[in-house]
Parts: sequence; structure tokens; C-alpha cells
Amino acid sequence: MLGSPRRAGVDGDGGRDVEGDADAGSGSGEFAVTLEHVSVRYGKVENAKQVAVRDVSLAFPKNQVTALLGPSGCGKTTILRTINRLHDHTTGRVSGAVKIGELDVYARDTQPEIVRTRVGMVFQRPNLFPTLSIFDNVVAGLRMNGVRKRPFLREAAEAALRQAALWDSVKDRLGLPAVRLSGGQQQRLCIARALAIGPEVLLLDEPCSALDPQASARVERLIVELSAHITIALVTHNLFQATRISHRTAVFLLDEQNSGTLVEDGPTVDVFSSPKDPRTLAYVTGTIG
Amino acid sequence: MTGGADGTVRDPSDILSPEAVARRARIVRRASRATLRRRRLIGNTTRIVCYLALVIALIPLVALVSYTIERGVSGLSVDFFSQLPVPQGVPGGGVEEAIIGTLIIVGLAAVVAIPLGLAVALFLIDRRGKLAATVRFVADVMSGIPSIAIGVFAYALFVVPSHHYAGITGSFALAVLMLPIIVRADEVAMRTVPEDLWDAALALGARPSRVARSVVVRTALPGLVTGNLLAVARAIGETAPLLFTALGSSLLVTNPFQPMDAMPLRILSDGTQADAHLQTVAWATALVLLAFILVVSIVARTFASYATRHAR
Amino acid sequence: MVFAAVVVSLVVSLVWQAAPAFRHSGFNFIFSGTWSPDTEKFGAGVFIVDTLITTGVGLLIAIPVGIATAAALSEFLPRRIGAPLATCIDLLAAVPSIVVGLWGLLVLIPIFERDVEPFLQKIPLVRHLFGGGDLGSGILLASVVLAVMMLPTMVALTRTALQGVSVADREAALALGGTRWQVVRRAVIPGARSGIQAAITLAMGRALGEAIAVSLVIGGGVNMPHSLLATGTTLGSAVVSFFSEATGVQRSAVIGLVVVLLVFSTVTNIGGQLLLRRRGGRSFSLPDQGVLLADAEVVPT
Repeated sequence: MLGSPRRAGVDGDGGRDVEGDADAGSGSGEFAVTLEHVSVRYGKVENAKQVAVRDVSLAFPKNQVTALLGPSGCGKTTILRTINRLHDHTTGRVSGAVKIGELDVYARDTQPEIVRTRVGMVFQRPNLFPTLSIFDNVVAGLRMNGVRKRPFLREAAEAALRQAALWDSVKDRLGLPAVRLSGGQQQRLCIARALAIGPEVLLLDEPCSALDPQASARVERLIVELSAHITIALVTHNLFQATRISHRTAVFLLDEQNSGTLVEDGPTVDVFSSPKDPRTLAYVTGTIG
Repeated sequence: MTGGADGTVRDPSDILSPEAVARRARIVRRASRATLRRRRLIGNTTRIVCYLALVIALIPLVALVSYTIERGVSGLSVDFFSQLPVPQGVPGGGVEEAIIGTLIIVGLAAVVAIPLGLAVALFLIDRRGKLAATVRFVADVMSGIPSIAIGVFAYALFVVPSHHYAGITGSFALAVLMLPIIVRADEVAMRTVPEDLWDAALALGARPSRVARSVVVRTALPGLVTGNLLAVARAIGETAPLLFTALGSSLLVTNPFQPMDAMPLRILSDGTQADAHLQTVAWATALVLLAFILVVSIVARTFASYATRHAR
Repeated sequence: MVFAAVVVSLVVSLVWQAAPAFRHSGFNFIFSGTWSPDTEKFGAGVFIVDTLITTGVGLLIAIPVGIATAAALSEFLPRRIGAPLATCIDLLAAVPSIVVGLWGLLVLIPIFERDVEPFLQKIPLVRHLFGGGDLGSGILLASVVLAVMMLPTMVALTRTALQGVSVADREAALALGGTRWQVVRRAVIPGARSGIQAAITLAMGRALGEAIAVSLVIGGGVNMPHSLLATGTTLGSAVVSFFSEATGVQRSAVIGLVVVLLVFSTVTNIGGQLLLRRRGGRSFSLPDQGVLLADAEVVPT
């Protein structure tokens, strides 16, 4: 068990230096991502039944792990996907404001592709490109964004693989097909692939759910290490995982109209030991969910 | 220490330092912004090219149907359906014998192939082992056999020893053609029957194939009918299997042991004549054939999707 | 059981009937380019070449058009428009080959003769492919007709392959900042690769077996083709054209052609079916058998 993470900056004073990234617009705020009154509806009509997630206002502090916790179907993943505009490709309609630093994600003139260079995502099951080698997988995002120069790609690949704690295992076999790796390694490769682009936020959607306990533990360790430099949003239904590795926790449950809603959020320690909302208490003690 | 790609030795902490990370991120974002317009443009151009391809792909169907209608309509008449062919140069005449021939030949083929196909499908549905997989594979491969080969096969098997062309030999060839299609279609139709239906019946202790026969067949009936109809529609249009078996004729023949005419054969013989009138007759026959096949296909598909949507 | 009997007897009787031809000219049969009933010299060479050329050129047309069309139908168009259009293309497969052949004979030949082929003969460089030979019927037209007949297979199977790529794979590319087309190019098409290979192979099998339509438009020459406009004869069309009047050794030779055709076609079809099964055990019937029900049927093999 990694215990509750305690490092400089856990109190939200932005302990690490701002990375001097002038044009990233991350600003000087302490929150990397903010959601204000965000709702997601499916379908055309303003049909109350089809509101997947209702009125979520949430802030993700910089360089910390924020867990989105709750039972299945309560909107955690839906909310996660509003951050990198993945709902553009579904029938979901997002209302409310999502900001990454100063950037309004859903502004009319904001390009989703640009948003996605600042936000990386790792999915439940490793979704490597099956026809590509390890190296090509890691740099796939770079190539898609128009970065071609080989020395740069190699540097970025090595950095990303080191950050994902994979470098030593794969450095001699970068040309091998990525599918030959074990499940845990594949997931870490997905993390490396997301990191290679240099995002300031990393979204993780139940990244350990397809992994065995050992691989799971390694990924969790990785997440904690990464959070020193990157803001992390982690969706999980595993309460223990949340206590192990997150600084803040946001609890999602279904409301009376069967829409997902944010019940409570705060420092993890507080949410679990002295929750403010009775529903949270019920959830963390296992009474519901 | 790590070896850089350009041969210099780099300290790993170099590339992992916050400055390096920030520098790389800046480069990536700049590249992304700079190339976005071009990437979007390529995407849009490709999209248009694909739409173009779609139009090209639709042209043959439209052309086929419209030419057939345009040139065949004038040949349609009561005579067309009720008269026998006349020699070249003589006006009038029809293709009655071809229509009747098609009905008889395909009818006989269907009478054999449909039950047989169902039987094989029932056999397959019981089993999940290697044997079943092999049979399915063979069926799929067989459905791709050139129809001309089937025709020659039927010729070798029946016409040669009996020194006799016969409509029923053509039926045999068509049946061989239809069989793999029907087997696969039937099996698919029955497999889409929901599992609980199976389980319920099996729980009552019946042997799998008896269960299938009574319960599943009835439930899968829409799918079965569709599949079989489409197989028949395919058989109606086939020419090659009949070339060396039924041979064709200009007489009204109802005895399947004689050479018989069929619509595709008629089209072939009329269409290749230099006579404009005969060519029109060929178009008209093609029109009837095409109309029938297309209508059956459309109805079958609509019926199938309607049935699967409302089955539960 | 009945099945096995049918298959075995098919192969056996054909081989038996063809044997005399092989005995007559030995293995040369396959490679010899002469076919003259007068001198009783029979070789399948010309027909094999013509078959390969017509199928090859047909594929050259059908593959790009087919894949692009499938992409349009499954990736670019919204479902409501894409699905009915896809059905239209599938219907093309239901058109009997005799009707396509009739159309080719009476409609396309004049068009090619009048407009298309003279035009092709004027294009610099490429022009030499279309040298001498009578305009109208010929290998080029046969290739086009074959392409038309291969198209529905190509489109339907490619479309299924494209749609079979999971959402997760697409999202991988999307989340990295790719545009819609980049997602298709980098995630969907590679993911559909074996399905597309299957589509190509099965379309090829379809073309190999096509005899009637080809025989009506290809002209029937028995010499090695010197240009795409030359007339020729494929294995299938040879059987159609020569069978009825052939006797004795010639008839055995024609049956020998059927055997060769059968070998080509079976090998291709087996390959195609194996490729289809590689994608996780699904098996499909080709659209011209009309067995594509809604897009929903999957038969676990």
C-alpha cells in the first residue's frame, strides 16, 4: 500500500514551478481543469430521462491526482470525456463550461484536435495500434500532429517510455510489434503514448480494470510518480484505489431521476473519514453502490 | 547514462527535466496548430473522393436498370407472355416456353435443395466441433464455385451417360448451386433465435435436433423464408448451369426429361442475334427477370430487417 | 454426408473427363498457347493469360473504387443515408450475369467502340497499352464488366470490415489529436486490413468464375493478347464458346479448361474464406447470394 500521498504541493499551493510554457495558456491558476455546471444529454430532445450527467462543477488541482469515484453508470466516464471532447463523436450534447487553464474547451473557435494535444487519455483496455511496433505506437500521436523529425521522435519516445517505467524493458526491442507485450506493459505503453505528446492533463479511465493485481500495482505506482508533473484525473470504481493514490476524490452517484451527479468532492482523506453528504457516507461504507 | 541516437551520451535526467518536457510539449503544440489546416484539408479532399467513388459505384446499377427498362418495355405484351418464339425476321412471338421452363426447372431444383439444405443446417446446428466447422467451410467455399463448372459437372454426370439433354439435369445443377447458400442461410437464421428459447426447450429434455425442428424452425421462419427466397432468386438468373444440361429449345416443353428452355437461355440466344426485334425480345425477357429478382431481393431484405427488429 | 458425396463426385468426374486431353498433350496443356481444333493442338496458355489480365485489370478498377465507396458508406456518411445506399450496391450483386452481359453486349460495346477506346488511344504514354485491335469488344471491356460485378462484393465486405473496427481503437487515435480522416487512416483501415484482404480475394474468386457476361463482351480471340483492346477468351468464356461444338479430344480439352478454372477458383475462394475467418471466427456469405441479413448476423464458427 502506498499510503496517502504526501508531497509538496498537496495542499494546493502549486508546489512545483510553473513550467514556463508561455503559449500553453495554463495560466497561473492552481487548477488545471475546471468544470462549471456541466451536463451531458443524449438524444435530441431535452428529455430529462436522457440526461446522463447533471450539473457537475468540479475543479482539478494542478499536479495532483483527482479520483472520480462511484459505481458503474454514474457518469464518471461521461464527465471525463467532456474534458477532451470525445462526445463530439457521439450523440451526446455537452452544456456548461469546461476550461483547461484559460482555454475554453467548448468555445466556438476551439479546435478539438488542439485540445487533445493538451489532454492525454488512457482507456480501460489497452488500445494499442495492433499493426505497429512499440516505437511506432509511442510516437503515433506525434506523427499525427505533424512532428516528423527522427531525432525528436526518438527523444520524445525515450522520455515517454522512461516516464512510464517501460524504457528498460523495451529499449532493445523497440521494433517489435506492440501486441507482443504483456497486458500490464501494454497499458503502460498506452500511457507512454499519451505522454509523448506532452499533455498537461492525463485522463485515465479505469486503467487497471483489465490488469492483474501485480500489473495494477505497478500502474498505480506510476500514476503517483506522474502526478508530480502532470495533472491526473482518474476514473475508478475501486474505493481502495482511490484512497491509495488520489489527493482529491469526487464522488458520483445517481440522483432520483437516474442521472449521474456529483455528490461530494474534497481531499481524499476528508471524503473518506468525514464525508459531508450522507450519500457519500453510505457509499464509502459500502451501504450503497 | 543513456546512448542518444546521434551517438552522444546523454544523462537520462536531461530529457526528463521539466525544461526538456516543456520544450517538447511546446514543439508538439506548435506543430499541431501549424499542420491542422493541412490535415483537415486532406481529410476533406479524401472525403470528396470517396463520395465520388460512391457515385461511380452506383452508376452501373442505375444504368443497368434504366437501359433494361427503356429497351425492354416495348417488347412487353400479352403475346410476349403467351406466344412461342418465331424465326428470325418474323414479327411477333413471345417467350412463353422460357417462362414456363424457368418455373419448372427452378421449381424442381428448389423442391430438392430447400429441404436438403434445411436438413444439413439442422445437422450443423447441433454440433460445434471440428466436423461442423469443416462442413461450414466447405459450404462457404462451394458457394463460390463457378456456375459454369457446375454445369459441366452435371453434364458429365448425367448428359454423357444418358446421351440426353434434359431440364431436370439443369435442375440438378441449380440444386447443387443453391445448396451451400441455403445451408448457410438456414443455419444463420436459426442461430439468431434467442438462447433462452433453446434452453427452455432443452430443459424439457428433447434431443437438440428435435427441439430445433419444432420450435426453432417455427421461430426462425421469417429468416428461413428470406434466405431460401434469395437463393431461389439467384438460381432463376443463372445461365451457365443450364447451358449444357437443359440446352434450351423453342418448343413448349413440360416434360423435365426433355431439353427445355429457360429465361436466361432465351436471353442469351435472342440477344446475340443481329435482329433488332429479337434483341428487343431479349431486353424484355431481361426486364421480366430483373424485375422479379430485384423485387424479391428488396422484399426479402426489408422483410428480414423488419422481422429481426420486431422479433422479440 | 450428401455434401461430401457431391463434392467428391464433382471433382472426380471432371478430372476423369478431362484426362484424355492431358494424355494427349501432357503438362504442356497448361502452358501451351496454341488452341487450334484443326491441328488438334490444345493449350490453356492463352486462356489463362486472358483470365489473369481481365481479372487483374478488373481488380485494378474495383479495389480502389470499392474501398473508397465502403469508406464513404461507413465512415463519412451518416447512417440514415449510408445504409440504404449500401443496400443499393448490394442489389447490384443480385443482377444476373446474363443481364449484365446483355447490357455489355448491346450498350457498352457501341459506347466503347465510339467514344471510350478512341479516346484511350489518344492519351500519350498509356496509349501503347491500347494499341491496334478492333474497337469495341475486347479485354478492356471484359475487365470493366468484371469490375462492375466485383464491386458489390468489394464494397460489402470492406464495409463490414471497417465497421468491425472497435470504438476503442478509433478513440485511441482520436484522443491523440487526430482529425477524422487521420483516425480512419491510422486506426480504422489498418484494423480492417485482413477483412479488406478477404474482400479482395473473394472478389477475385467471383471474377474468375464469371463466364457468361465475359463471353458476350470479350470477342473470342485465341491468340495471345498484344493490347488491352485485343479480343480474347478467358477460361470461363472458352468453355461457353467452345463446348457445344467440341468433340473428342477437343471436348476433353475444354473440360480440362474447366478443371484449370476450378483449381484457380477454389484456391482463391479457400484463401478468401480463411482470411475472413482470421478476424475472430466470423463467416459470411457473399452478397450475391443475398444472405446478408441486416448487418447483424454473426455466425460463431
